Amino acid sequence: METLNPPQTALELSVFWTWMGEDGICRTKTKPLAEVTIVEAMENSVAVNSFYKEKKFPLLIDARNIKSMAKEARKHFSTNGRTTKINSMAIMVKSPLSRIVGNFFMGLNKPEMPACLFDDEAAAVEWLKKYVL
Amino acid sequence: MAKNIKDSSPERVKEILDVIMSYARFDFSKKTTIHGNETLDAIGAGVNMLGEELESSTVSLKEKEQLLKEIHHRVKNNLQIVSSLLNLQSENILDKRYLDLIIESRNRINSMALVHEMLYSAKDLSKIEIGQYVERLSKGIQYSLSKNESDVKFDFNIDNGLYFDIDHMIPLGLILNEIISNSYKYAFPNNEGKITIEMRNKTEYEMIVKDNGVGFKPHFDVKRDSNLGMQLIFMLAEQMDGKVEIKSEIGVSYQINIPK
Repeated sequence: METLNPPQTALELSVFWTWMGEDGICRTKTKPLAEVTIVEAMENSVAVNSFYKEKKFPLLIDARNIKSMAKEARKHFSTNGRTTKINSMAIMVKSPLSRIVGNFFMGLNKPEMPACLFDDEAAAVEWLKKYVL
Repeated sequence: MAKNIKDSSPERVKEILDVIMSYARFDFSKKTTIHGNETLDAIGAGVNMLGEELESSTVSLKEKEQLLKEIHHRVKNNLQIVSSLLNLQSENILDKRYLDLIIESRNRINSMALVHEMLYSAKDLSKIEIGQYVERLSKGIQYSLSKNESDVKFDFNIDNGLYFDIDHMIPLGLILNEIISNSYKYAFPNNEGKITIEMRNKTEYEMIVKDNGVGFKPHFDVKRDSNLGMQLIFMLAEQMDGKVEIKSEIGVSYQINIPK
């Protein structure tokens, strides 16, 4: 089931759409050929962290349309050493480009929380469900 | 604006290769252009990200080198301060025995300070050329110990391009300091003579330091009668897994072999 079409209530950011799904999984989707720098990464984090005050939640990132992610942005998304509301992340990759970006992210900026790359959306959602509190 | 170049075009491949070659020259100003979502775009993005990581590691390495230089500089300055304090202290001492002890301690400190001074001025922070060190150390000891009328000459015979790291340089410097000081103190009652320092790069490093002085006193036993300086020579050589052989024929000769 396709759950990554941004609903009307989604927050539209510079290069992302971000919204909270009814299943308690937050979703963020890159716009086509998005170039993510630290500015866009921080903007996204503010949006993601705005959905709940206290509760932690999983995040599904659709990076299938990404064009590039700067080093500082990768470092920021790794969440290492910063406060975040998310407790896990699944990253959707498909194209060779998104796979390269995803693997760099997971290899060189390994997040502190459980994180995994997927090319199947249903499998990603299923994996994240166990982190819904 | 990005050129619309087909994914497999030789022009595109050349662009990526140019960027890789720039990175090989540590020029990180270039990046490949990502046009779309094709395989070469993925390769280009990977090259860009590897460049970012390499640049970051290079900067970090340069910062560490700078920090290491700073540390060597500060250690050398601190050792020089201790040396100067000993100098000041010595001005109020009239008893020659105590004065000699202070001079010996000061020279030991100076031999270590010189290692740090040469390390922070060297291109490669990890090692220094022993030939230059030996000449500078010998001059320092000569300046410190020679009397006005003394005529002690040095003869250096050291293989070119012989480098040692700090773990070897500190003990080697201290050993040399002890041997040269001993020669100055005991070998030349007429204040005339020659000290030869040889250093060879063989299957082991071989250091020979000899003087043409009066040699040991009759019945002198190195193990039984040795002073702190002599004990230091053995201890420091052992620290480098080295062996010391001492002969007293024409003057005294020390041969120290250090495994590589």
